Amino acid sequence: MAEILTLDDVQDATVLIGKILTKKGHKVHCFTEEDKAIAYAKENVVDLAILDIKLEKMSGVEVLELLKKIRPSMKAIMLTGYPTVETAREAISLGADEYCVKPIDRDELEEKVEKVLKARGNKSAMSV
Amino acid sequence: MSLLQEQKYLKVYQKVTKLTSMVLDHQQVMDTIVRSLPDLLAVDAATIRLLDTETGQFVMGAAHGLSAEYLSRYSIDTEETMEMIRSGYPVAKTDVDLETDHHDQELVQSEGVKSVLTLPIIFQDSIIGMLRLLTRDKRIFTADEISFSMALAEQVGIAISNSRMFTEMENQVDFMKEVQEISTLVNSSLDLSAVLDTIVERLPRSLGCKGCSIRLLQSQRNQLELVASYGLSETYLQRGHVENEKNVEAALSGSPVSIFDVRQDDRIFYKKNMEEEGIQSLLSVPIRAGNEVIGVLRILSDVARCFTSSEINFAVTAAEVGGVAIRNAKTYQQITLLFNQIEENERFLADILDCIRPQLLVVDKDKHLILANKVFQKTMSRSENELLGCDYDGLWQNQDCDEDECPVTRVLTTGKSATFTHKIMQDTEVHWCERTASPMLGSDGEVEYVIEVIRDITTKRQLEEEQLERVKLQGVVELAGTVAHEINSPLFAALGTAQLLEEDLENQDLIDDVNTIVRNLKEIGVLTKKMTSMTGFESRDYVGDAKIVVIK
Repeated sequence: MAEILTLDDVQDATVLIGKILTKKGHKVHCFTEEDKAIAYAKENVVDLAILDIKLEKMSGVEVLELLKKIRPSMKAIMLTGYPTVETAREAISLGADEYCVKPIDRDELEEKVEKVLKARGNKSAMSV
Repeated sequence: MSLLQEQKYLKVYQKVTKLTSMVLDHQQVMDTIVRSLPDLLAVDAATIRLLDTETGQFVMGAAHGLSAEYLSRYSIDTEETMEMIRSGYPVAKTDVDLETDHHDQELVQSEGVKSVLTLPIIFQDSIIGMLRLLTRDKRIFTADEISFSMALAEQVGIAISNSRMFTEMENQVDFMKEVQEISTLVNSSLDLSAVLDTIVERLPRSLGCKGCSIRLLQSQRNQLELVASYGLSETYLQRGHVENEKNVEAALSGSPVSIFDVRQDDRIFYKKNMEEEGIQSLLSVPIRAGNEVIGVLRILSDVARCFTSSEINFAVTAAEVGGVAIRNAKTYQQITLLFNQIEENERFLADILDCIRPQLLVVDKDKHLILANKVFQKTMSRSENELLGCDYDGLWQNQDCDEDECPVTRVLTTGKSATFTHKIMQDTEVHWCERTASPMLGSDGEVEYVIEVIRDITTKRQLEEEQLERVKLQGVVELAGTVAHEINSPLFAALGTAQLLEEDLENQDLIDDVNTIVRNLKEIGVLTKKMTSMTGFESRDYVGDAKIVVIK
């Protein structure tokens, strides 16, 4: 089980991600506002952040940069409805583990989450 | 005086009269007299000197029985003697070798001259020269001898003057002919160097002189430039500047100068150079063109000679004829130069007009073509001769252009520049032209000519159209991306939720319905994916005027 933070300006999208991943046994914390998501990450453990790139006040890439500063070991999956080469390159350079294009299929989402978390586990094991 | 003596004098007088009447050349007259008198009068030597009225000096005319050294001594006699002669009185002297106030006493002594009878040669109450009779033995000339010699000298004066007058008349006729010939020659040519060469060759030949030179004033520097010469060596010609020589200064101020002996004359600066060149006498005259002195003509003689007034007049007249011809030739030369420059400038301008890329033409106010560059000729497939004079409107008859919009018509109507863009067909291709017409105003401010520049702006227009297409596409792509993005998030929520619902349902009919929803939502997903990755589109007719796009 992992602590997952999800941030999307479309509330239904965060709710959906929460439902899917909760069913997989993870604890999902849903946010539509950047400030609240960042504040949460400062106070709580976050293993994985699923961030939409287009938000209201900041971009998902900027949020990723802040979260990575707070929790460097945190994993991240970026979601976007409008993929561009520039955003993909920037997200990867800031430490995103996956870059997915909406509408992402439920199976695809579950698979990518598992893959990223598994990589985290391996890395932990390796570090042990 | 005894009868015998009188008879002797009469015989001598007759002989001299006969001798002098036999020859017409005054030099021959003088030579005859000085050769004959010593025998007739029982003296050792005789000389005749002629008065140079210009300098007041007596110059050697003829001599017999004396050495060249003696004859070239500095002074002829004492000042007192010379004064007496100038006053018309004879002077008889003995023991001249013992005179202490004589400048050339040594020369007199070495020549052995003891007695001298100096007689003025008078013609019509004017002194024209002097006759000297010299003996190497001491001799006291008697009053009768002096009186007879005076009469003889007078006869000599008449003979010299007559021969001089005859020679003068003959010369004047020759000079008139010569001036006429020179005038014909120089006026038949506008070639400056040919005119100058004719003058410098003909003049010394006419006067029996060695050579001639012409120097013309350079108006800007006020210096004389040697422009032509004849019979003179390069070394002599390059001896130096002559502007400050007194004879040249006098000629430049308009007065002719005749110099009998260049070696002893203060008006000559380059005496040594002249001696080396073998020049003895000189005539320097002004070259006039109208009232202005434009240069100096110098005639140089290799024998000592006193130029007569008719010779001087001839030289002055010939120089004047030459001056006018020189000015005409110079004017012609300047006009030719100017004409060549204008022609060259015109060619240069024509080359520029032919080399520029736009078509260029000029029409007059009657709309007739008066100039067309090569590009325009090529575009019209017509030669310059075919185009010039053409009616301007006729040139555009087959083209798609309205006469009211014609830039040339607008310039002629408004007087202001005008630009017009229009389409023309070349073969099967469409070309776009930008025609700009500008007025050329006359001195009255009215449009005299119109210059039209025609540029082919087809490429520019194509680029503009392509740029417009790119901007349109960019807008469409951005719009499609934005729409897709806005759809994708709710689509994701709807699709995911439907998939979750499908999983929870047990009723097959409901499962099939949700399945239909999921399938169609996935179709929308395919469409939004297409929209986010589009690179172009194609418009297609839909219904009526409406169009739809096909995404590429």
